[in-house]
Amino acid sequence: MRFWRQAFEIARVDLIVERRLGDTIRIVVPFAVVALVVFPLALGSRITLVSEVGFGIYWALGILFGMQIALRQSAADTPERRDLQALLGLEPAARFVGRSLSGGVLMAGFLIVLLVATTVLLDPEVPDGGWSVLVISTVLVAIGLTELGTLAGEVTSGLRSRTALASLIVAPLALPLVIGGSQSVQALERDTGILTWILLLIAGDLALAVAGVALAKPLEEATR
Amino acid sequence: MTRVRVLLALAGAAVAVGLWLALTAPPDALQGEYSRLLGIHPPAMWLAFLAFGVTAFGSIMWLIKKTNRWDRLAAASVEIGVIFTAIGLFTGMVWGQAVWGSPWDWQDPRLMSTAVMFFVYLGYIALRNAIDDPQVRARRSAILGAIAVVQVPLVYFSVNLFRTLHQTQSIRPDGSTMPDEMLVAMLVNMAAFTLLYIALMAARLDVASAEADAPPESAVAGDAVRPPRLSEVEDV
Repeated sequence: MRFWRQAFEIARVDLIVERRLGDTIRIVVPFAVVALVVFPLALGSRITLVSEVGFGIYWALGILFGMQIALRQSAADTPERRDLQALLGLEPAARFVGRSLSGGVLMAGFLIVLLVATTVLLDPEVPDGGWSVLVISTVLVAIGLTELGTLAGEVTSGLRSRTALASLIVAPLALPLVIGGSQSVQALERDTGILTWILLLIAGDLALAVAGVALAKPLEEATR
Repeated sequence: MTRVRVLLALAGAAVAVGLWLALTAPPDALQGEYSRLLGIHPPAMWLAFLAFGVTAFGSIMWLIKKTNRWDRLAAASVEIGVIFTAIGLFTGMVWGQAVWGSPWDWQDPRLMSTAVMFFVYLGYIALRNAIDDPQVRARRSAILGAIAVVQVPLVYFSVNLFRTLHQTQSIRPDGSTMPDEMLVAMLVNMAAFTLLYIALMAARLDVASAEADAPPESAVAGDAVRPPRLSEVEDV
């Protein structure tokens, strides 16, 4: 019970700090939408191609800009704050879970906004029943990407070039999430069954959650 | 040092024998001379798997024992693993161009998972280079090294789990799918590459030990050189 109270408190404080800083809403979301607009302009007159690859662009931008959210400033603790939290008896695993919760909320919100923007701007082709699959896979990708980002953020905490370094670690490891997300919709188009891909995403999320909780203590020591 | 030289000489001789066997084995009826890549491509990937496995072992042992030699073992092994993954990817692309008509296939899980593994371990090396404090570096890279190894079974079993252009394993519990000459050439090369790995590890660990033993604040040539300051220049 104490564990979950700590985790929810960390998540609540993170979201309050993020609301005040506004990095996600004021910077990452507009930047991602601008990047979305760049694609049709870069492709020129081949406008049907934009519609065909619309969801591919969505997943690529979702992962790349999602990393900015996972590694946001409001989720980076100073050594002094960590010391204070340790003295207050905060469990390292509760910090990981709390941070993943707050990041997951932000990430899911960001990906949903990006999905709406993709639909409006790129008019992608959606198979029957595609929207519900897209929303489910988006939420699962958001969870996995946040867990991965939280882990990478901890590993690179306090380092110079933290964002670039963590992105280098997260991007390749996030590829199974991209594949799971994109293939679930394509499987619907091919009528080959989406269960495998949804299960892949769930398994990835669970594996990352277990890794995050198990490694929370060594990571806590590593950041000192 | 002598030990390393002897090991390197033995490994060089073993690789030479292995390559000779690969070059003298009869060519495949369909793939022709390209089948000789069997002497390099699978051994290189085997060595990469071995190296990343040793990195994970060293990382876990560091987390348990907290002794620097485990960190040095992990660091030395990952560098060799990355080099041989690059060799495996390159020879695979050459082979793919000859057999599939394309060096790369974006739909192929084996190629994609190998590339992902390559980039993750490049990230591991970048992480090590970004941290100056040896203890912090050891701890953080041990955590990443312990996590990253999950990719090794993913790469290995990707040909069984997914539909792929890449062939499945040639050596199975019920026997081999290759002619004996090719099988022998491949196995000898795997043994030779393993010996090469041991020799390279010995050499790299020697360098790592020397680096660790070096005094941290020793003066080097150039330390005394600094740009002139305005206040020190006369007649200004």
